[in-house]
Amino acid sequence: MISMRNVSKIYVPNKPPALDGCNVEIEQGEFVFLVGPSGSGKSTFIRLLLRELLTTRGQIVVAGQDLVKMKNWKVPYLRRNIGCVFQDFKLLPNKTTYENIAFALEVIGRSKHVIRTQVPEVLRLVGLDEKMESYPDELSGGEQQRVSIARAFVNRPPLLLADEPTGNLDPATSLGIMSLLNRINKTGTTVLVATHDREMVDSMRKRVIALEGGKVVRDQDRGVYGYGD
Amino acid sequence: MAINVGYFVKESFVSFKRNWVISLGAIITIYLSLLLVGVSLGSGILLDQVVQSVEDKVSIRIFLKDGAPAEEVDALQQQLLTNDMVDTVVYTSKEQALEDFKESMVQDSPEIIDQLEGNPLPASLDVELKDPRNVQAVVDSIKASETFTAVADRPDDPEKSLKYGQQIVNQLFTVTRIIRTLSIVFVIMLAVISLIFINNAIRLAIYARRKEIAIMRLVGASNWFIRTPFLMEGVIQSLIGALLAIGTLSLVYFYVLPSLSEMLAFLPISLSTADALQVSLALVAAGIVMGLVGAMLALRRYLKV
Repeated sequence: MISMRNVSKIYVPNKPPALDGCNVEIEQGEFVFLVGPSGSGKSTFIRLLLRELLTTRGQIVVAGQDLVKMKNWKVPYLRRNIGCVFQDFKLLPNKTTYENIAFALEVIGRSKHVIRTQVPEVLRLVGLDEKMESYPDELSGGEQQRVSIARAFVNRPPLLLADEPTGNLDPATSLGIMSLLNRINKTGTTVLVATHDREMVDSMRKRVIALEGGKVVRDQDRGVYGYGD
Repeated sequence: MAINVGYFVKESFVSFKRNWVISLGAIITIYLSLLLVGVSLGSGILLDQVVQSVEDKVSIRIFLKDGAPAEEVDALQQQLLTNDMVDTVVYTSKEQALEDFKESMVQDSPEIIDQLEGNPLPASLDVELKDPRNVQAVVDSIKASETFTAVADRPDDPEKSLKYGQQIVNQLFTVTRIIRTLSIVFVIMLAVISLIFINNAIRLAIYARRKEIAIMRLVGASNWFIRTPFLMEGVIQSLIGALLAIGTLSLVYFYVLPSLSEMLAFLPISLSTADALQVSLALVAAGIVMGLVGAMLALRRYLKV
């Protein structure tokens, strides 16, 4: 699903690279944590996968598409195959839960019929079918993140990226979000979670890729967070 | 893929409502510049008609001396007709000239006719040209002709044996050229200002919708899908400006122009419906182009997709 070969990203010439010679292979259906201290390159890693950034060196293949050779106009079609969740939810405050998710389908040209059937379905999946008509500021942080996950997953993408999805949430709520991501993973979707959340990583016992100074320093199955031990 | 036109129209109007002051500014500048375009186009057509009517009156009159031999006059006439630039040559005898003069005076001042002793008027040849702009060339060729010198009323001063409207035509051409150049300069300046205003309006619209745009990109909305509402907004703004300009020009066309042509009855001031429609179409087309260009400039600078 994701294949990185010798990937480097240099933002400013003659400064230390944000990513430095990374080699990562992630198979379809995997659940992977990407851990590391701030500035270790986690966000750069995610943004490269979304092709918000281009690599300075190396090759990235996502969902069978070579991101280096990809034409700009094809990028939107790549992103339709990648669901994306962020720490700050990125919901539109003037739209209801339903409208926020419908918007994501509307702008990729899905028909009204598809929207009317898929939005309630995905809201049931994340457990928010009761809050369809609520605006984001009427929802708790955990609920807002569920809406954001619902929006990322409504199109049933084969890959879901989450950048610090529990960064703003308390531990109990975080647990709920993680189990939701786990459930999504069980449907066959590849899930990559960049996180600081030590307890979460340690309790889930999933594959862990650790970054430090832009380098992959550890990659273990059923791993733990591992820093500061 | 189903293209949801309703979505784009809705988005354009929502955005329009959101920063209507700026949009209004854009509409007013487009309105003013298109109004000026319309005025220059319309007055250009009118000017052409005026010039045309004056040109039609431009001919060369050759005054002949009394008792010029008929065969030599004939020779001159034939010689003129061989000139490519000449359309017709008409001979007016002394008697005919007097008749014409009497006719023209009989109403205003008949006493002049009574005071005439004999016939002081010379016979003449009236030369009509195919293209009035060639008048100087034809005059020069006439002056160079020996036949002309032989029959001219004042062989010592050929200039006085000829009458033609070169000066008027030249002045008219100069005036129309100046007017055209000025209006082109003004139109270009106003077009640039309108582009800046549209650019600004679209930039603010992009700024107001930056969150939506970020999410659209994230979920994979295609580039044209993100851009189209802004392009439409630019086009809608300039179309409204164009319609206002056409409205104002119609008022001029239906109410001001008829009274103007009454006041200046000696000039042919009228615009055919076809001309008016053509001007309107030109304004709509110019509006659409300006809206699209202004919006595209803004998108290129402020919306990286």
